Amino acid sequence: MAEDLDNIDAFEAKETSHKLPIGWLVLFWGLILWGVYYFVTYSPAISGWTQEKAYQESIKK
Amino acid sequence: MNDYQYDNQTVKGFVVSSVFWGVVGIVIGLLISIQMWRPEFNFAPFFTFGRLRTVHTNSLAFGLGVGAIFGLSYYILMRLTKRPLLFPKLARIQLYLFNIGIAAAAVTLFMGMTQSLEYAELEWPLDIAIVILWVMFAVNVFGTIIKRKEEQMYISLWYIIATVIAVAVLYIINNLSIPVGPFKSYHLFAGVNSANVEWWYGHNAVGFVFTTPILAMFYYFLPKSTGIPIFSHRLSIISFWSLVFAYLWTGAHHLVYTPLPDWIQTLGIVFTIFLIAPSWGSVVNGYYTVGSDWDKMNTQYLTKFFIMGITFYGLQTVQGPTQGLRVVSQLIHYTDWVPGHVHMGTMGWVTMTTAASIYYVIPKIYHTEIYSIKVANIHFWLVLIGQLIFSITMWITGIQQGALWKAVNDDGSLKYSFVETLTKNYPFWQLRTVGGLIFTVGMLFFIYNIYMTIRRGSLAEAKA
Ligand code: HEM
Ligand code: HEM
Repeated sequence: MAEDLDNIDAFEAKETSHKLPIGWLVLFWGLILWGVYYFVTYSPAISGWTQEKAYQESIKK
Repeated sequence: MNDYQYDNQTVKGFVVSSVFWGVVGIVIGLLISIQMWRPEFNFAPFFTFGRLRTVHTNSLAFGLGVGAIFGLSYYILMRLTKRPLLFPKLARIQLYLFNIGIAAAAVTLFMGMTQSLEYAELEWPLDIAIVILWVMFAVNVFGTIIKRKEEQMYISLWYIIATVIAVAVLYIINNLSIPVGPFKSYHLFAGVNSANVEWWYGHNAVGFVFTTPILAMFYYFLPKSTGIPIFSHRLSIISFWSLVFAYLWTGAHHLVYTPLPDWIQTLGIVFTIFLIAPSWGSVVNGYYTVGSDWDKMNTQYLTKFFIMGITFYGLQTVQGPTQGLRVVSQLIHYTDWVPGHVHMGTMGWVTMTTAASIYYVIPKIYHTEIYSIKVANIHFWLVLIGQLIFSITMWITGIQQGALWKAVNDDGSLKYSFVETLTKNYPFWQLRTVGGLIFTVGMLFFIYNIYMTIRRGSLAEAKA
């Protein structure tokens, strides 16, 4: 019996093939921005934050 | 045409082997889940928790997972490149070597041989065999793609390529070790470096065994079984490149609050959180695809497997990144929350999607229909319920455990002893075994269905 070969058109929708949902784009760029903020805030060499200091802080009452 | 016939035999061989190792792994999973609340179920020395746990993870990740990946990747590859495998005989040898390798792996783990690196327990002679196995796979994948008859490369092929390259790099680097005998070696890296390399590997085992090849299946078999093309090719491609780029930086989230330098942890967390976007790219794409005709959920029985699978993938890829955050990690790390996370991914996403793909492939290979859609539906609901019980009980007890560990008296001493916090797990561990049993029964329905389909197909072939 012959195999049914795949037709690439059956996999990719035509009208919507270039669409990027706006909500997803916001997520994508938002997370990159958040990453820059987080890296700056929690890098000892940039902000001076360290795990050790944060710990000492947390047990001081 | 004969070539195709031959290649299908290899695909079938891998699929059946994968299901076989899956059964072994799941039965052992049940046993270790009982051992955690009934120590009498440890039978020294071979059937103790410490040894069986590694047999469980290895036979499921490498037997069920990689076996299905080999077989289904070949199936997808031949059809998307519109040609037989370039080296069908090599693929056949690979099938035999694969089964010998997994069997040998299980034996050495039962004997207690281990490199003491999670998911990289196998000792160096087996590592070499696995690298050879992987090279065989790589040669066929790249050879067939280079000689392809369809110029355009569909997204599934990209995910398969990423799997082949990433696993090779990760596996070789993390297994670099100095042998001191035929069955014993020491990691080339020491201390913090060893931990860092190990979790770079460990997390990407999740990324390139439990994610990218499963996405290759998802993107291929969803349009095939529903007849609906994928919503957006651009979204597929952008998600693909950002996923493979980001994944490789995230291993440090397994080492939060360890001696690993603070900045490496922070960098790892940044990429970890970013991973939500490329992961959800595939989730959104899947939803929008079926969204053009939600009726398919009722009219085509495989649709719900894929949609439920991608939903658990979506939940997993929000939960996972959240676990990487320092404030969450300090509560749930080392607790039973983590096995809850693990099994939502492995049972709800990996096994669900793989089983659906096998449901699609087996009848196609035998030129027949699935034996029973009703049995498939029973399978679906049982594994879903079993998995939910497993995950939810572990999340609850994990949070409780973390909170009890952190509770301190006014003078700073711990409120609860370790044993007190441990005993609180028992009811949840018992419930987990119940969930595991339900899941196992579901998988038995699956195997019965596949077996009957194969039988019917072979009978028809014999008659023809
Ligand atoms: C009946 C089904 C299953 C049961 C009862 C079960 C049970 C267990 C148990 C008790 C553990 C040890 C948890 C601990 O150390 O606290 C475990 C770990 C694990 N299981 Fe399963 N399992 C099942 C199915 C699966 C499947 C289908 C997969 C993969 C495809 C899988 C992959 C894993 C992995 C990767 C780990 C290691 C998790 C970690 O280190 O955090 N399991 N399982
Ligand atoms: C964006 C995707 C994901 C991220 C960022 C992520 C993150 C994490 C984190 C932070 C941990 C460590 C928890 C701890 O020990 O404190 C973890 C553990 C784990 N995750 Fe995920 N996860 C993701 C997706 C997945 C998927 C799809 C699976 C597939 C089944 C999976 C399987 C596992 C396993 C097996 C472990 C246990 C590792 C161990 O042995 O300790 N994860 N994940």
